[in-house]
Amino acid sequence: MIQVWLRNFLFFRKTFLVTLFWTTLEPLMYLAAIGFGLGRFVEQIEGLSFIEFYYPGLLASTAMMVSYFESTYPSYTKLTYQKTYLTMLLTPLNPNQILFGEILWAATKGFIGICGVILISLFFGLFKVQVYLVLPILFLLCLVFAAFGMIVTSLAKNYDSFIFSTSGLIIPMSLIGGTYFSINDMPLFMRSLAQIFPLTHAVSLTRTILYRQLSMSSLIDLGVLIIYLAVFVLIAQKLFSKKLIK
Amino acid sequence: MTNAVVAQNLAKDFDGITAVKNISFEIKPGECFGILGPNGAGKSTTMKMIYGHVVPTKGDLFVLGLNARTDIKRIKSKIGVVPQEDGLDVDFNSLENLQIFASYYGVPRDIAKARAEHLLSEMKLSEQKFRHVEALSGGMKRRLAIARGMIHQPELLVLDEPTTGLDPQARLWIWNYFENLKAQKKTMILTTHYMEEAERLCDRVAMIDQGVMLDCASPAELVKKHIGAEVVEISSGSETSYWKSKLSTLKIDFQDHENKLFAFFPNVQARQSFIMQLQNIHYVTRLANLNDVFLKLAGYSMRGDA
Repeated sequence: MIQVWLRNFLFFRKTFLVTLFWTTLEPLMYLAAIGFGLGRFVEQIEGLSFIEFYYPGLLASTAMMVSYFESTYPSYTKLTYQKTYLTMLLTPLNPNQILFGEILWAATKGFIGICGVILISLFFGLFKVQVYLVLPILFLLCLVFAAFGMIVTSLAKNYDSFIFSTSGLIIPMSLIGGTYFSINDMPLFMRSLAQIFPLTHAVSLTRTILYRQLSMSSLIDLGVLIIYLAVFVLIAQKLFSKKLIK
Repeated sequence: MTNAVVAQNLAKDFDGITAVKNISFEIKPGECFGILGPNGAGKSTTMKMIYGHVVPTKGDLFVLGLNARTDIKRIKSKIGVVPQEDGLDVDFNSLENLQIFASYYGVPRDIAKARAEHLLSEMKLSEQKFRHVEALSGGMKRRLAIARGMIHQPELLVLDEPTTGLDPQARLWIWNYFENLKAQKKTMILTTHYMEEAERLCDRVAMIDQGVMLDCASPAELVKKHIGAEVVEISSGSETSYWKSKLSTLKIDFQDHENKLFAFFPNVQARQSFIMQLQNIHYVTRLANLNDVFLKLAGYSMRGDA
């Protein structure tokens, strides 16, 4: 598993400038445009200033997006055109080890993205000590979406297949998962829908750790994320190994 | 000493379509064993069962004494595979390809580096070691894939169409290299549809078509058994039926294909006495080879995906 992670890390080392660019520039733009720019028109939201409210949402959606994209397009290329996984399978590595290596790597990349957001947040005066407690939660979220990405990769027929999961799930989640506005302001139907999404729970848990007291519902949030991870990994294992061994 | 590979009634179905039907063979240590067949014959499926990309539907398969169903991880640590598509990691250069691959086997880094350098020089790739694999020629890529298959010093080499798509020079170099490995008593199993390759490299060959084993013996034995020693190719044209009945009366073994007759003779004398009777017809005489055997056993017709 670690060898697979290491292979990706070695490739990442060659291209880290690109990563550095997006990990810092993107959060800078989002925090400035949405947090600062748009947030000026919002007085308070759930008792927080808009940029404070939005910051946990940005952390969680970055974790989700980066991990998901890392485990879809590049993984699909390795699965099909580059035959990287089939070649790995010539060695004693088995499909599960390859899968776990890829999930761990995609999550690592998501984690790097989070670090970029935190770094930029310093310039907006958003730093809080509690952010260290948030890191493991966000890494868990990265793992959830890395595993989800591997499921989609195993099911994909071509690159266009990813549009279904991206536009159908990832984007809606990032919009109504309590990132830009409070889910309490949404109609009941939308609110229940949002509660199904893992991102909603990650955002709420992150926001609680940063600004509020932990409660029973924090535990539920954590539980939901763990269950999602377990289920996604199980499904990914089945589909991925079916894709490699006939 | 146990056999390197033992296949007993090996079969594989893909969603109800049979790719391999009850194939049995044994490969001895130090032997170079060839699997011959046209496209879609089941060669690659058989190979993939050996290296674990395909799980047999029926039958037993033992590789280096280990059961392929239960012990594939250990098998894979002892065999070196050169797949049909090189599958080189295009994100890296030649040296890195070997080093990263070695890491999958758990070869320590310093040893991997030394072995990679050694193999690159053996494969005449030292000057290419920092080049991206995308920039390599077809022959170089194949040589790198062969080096990669040997990075963990395997006991058995599995080569799936190792020279398909290469130019004659590259093919010749690879043949020479394999002949060296043979001299070192390395056990090899290779698939090919080049009869010349099989004749040159293989101690024994299994001819398979449509998932069935047609015959299995040394190339010389196969030629002797099915063809004899000499072949006369007769361009019989419109007189084909006349010549067919004539050959039948003379009790000469032959095959016909598109107005051409291939008559087979056990020795030069038999061939000469037949040629004396040929008049006003174009013919060619030559030695019998594995190609004749293959066409006789598998038939001359083109395959659906050929």
